[in-house]
Amino acid sequence: MDLDSDGRTDILSGSYSRQDGDMAGLFQVLWGTAEGGFRKAEALAGSDGAVLLLPAGDSEDVDVDRICTRPFAADLDGDGKLDLVSGNFAGTFALFRGEGRGKFAPAATWLEAGGERMRVDAHGDPFLVDWDADGDLDLLSGSAQGGVFLFTNVGTRTAARFDASKVLLEPVGHAEPSAELGDAHLTRPNDSTRVWADDVNGDGKLDLLVGDNVTLYHAKDGVAPELAKEKLAVWLAAMEELFMAAGDDFNERYEALEKARDEHVREERTGFVWAFYRK
Amino acid sequence: MWALLVLALPATQEAQFSAPVRLAAADGLVRVESPGWACPAWHDVDRDGRKDLVVGQFHKGKMRLFKGLADGKLAAGTWLEAGGKVAEVPGVW
Repeated sequence: MDLDSDGRTDILSGSYSRQDGDMAGLFQVLWGTAEGGFRKAEALAGSDGAVLLLPAGDSEDVDVDRICTRPFAADLDGDGKLDLVSGNFAGTFALFRGEGRGKFAPAATWLEAGGERMRVDAHGDPFLVDWDADGDLDLLSGSAQGGVFLFTNVGTRTAARFDASKVLLEPVGHAEPSAELGDAHLTRPNDSTRVWADDVNGDGKLDLLVGDNVTLYHAKDGVAPELAKEKLAVWLAAMEELFMAAGDDFNERYEALEKARDEHVREERTGFVWAFYRK
Repeated sequence: MWALLVLALPATQEAQFSAPVRLAAADGLVRVESPGWACPAWHDVDRDGRKDLVVGQFHKGKMRLFKGLADGKLAAGTWLEAGGKVAEVPGVW
């Protein structure tokens, strides 16, 4: 989007956590250039000049309210200025009101529905779009458990008021790993979903693009697939037993099982992009 | 006479969509480097009137650009650049 209204496309990204100071996810912008390219990423500052940070939580350990930012810029209050809505590790959503031309208020408020913070399981992923075509912006979100959730705006274009979430796409939850090799068995997104809504196929209806995170297993080079699949099944069963039993030697046993598996099986961690076309 | 009770179950929201398909480009299925976490965006990056696919990932915060082609397909992916180098978003991984 054009974050600072200079006519050039900019790229807005969240991040897990800054590398120095207390853990907090920053907002990174790659400002567009006149040549149609992008400048190197730089942290987005609020209108007070300080880097923009989500409100601090009350955790004594890692502040899950502040890390794993996921920003989306849209004019939520209809005043002609882009606002910033961000997800976080905790699964809640914060609003930084826009002040125009890429400037945002330094302090955010948490979005609420029914008097409580709007929330997905974890890893909030806000995308603002008029999903029900009633003239105001609704909020879609992926989550750590997968799926896509819809918070319908039941207010107005200038005064957003969100309803409780509905499930748009079912989350996989804590799915058991598959004993299948490769990726041909995949039929839908896995967990850690990130959503984008647009008319992808040009038929006039909003579709969904959903990124995910998945672990795949392959036969190691030189190993017959049947043997690899057998070893994979053995490993999965052993891991399930290990997690049930726990114990002081958990780490040693975990590593030993992985080492045995890796003699025949190669693990691949990746993510795909799934298209859900509206009928 | 049998009284037939018909329970009208609400259709799931997912019924409004066709079965999901993985996006593919000229160089195969669109996928990200280990450890995963694909994050798609759909936008006309090169301003040719056709939307392109940009996919962020966890590893080094890099982004892959798949240009939209005239036939509706996606070109092979290239790393998005910033300042003449592959763009990286710090603090992602």
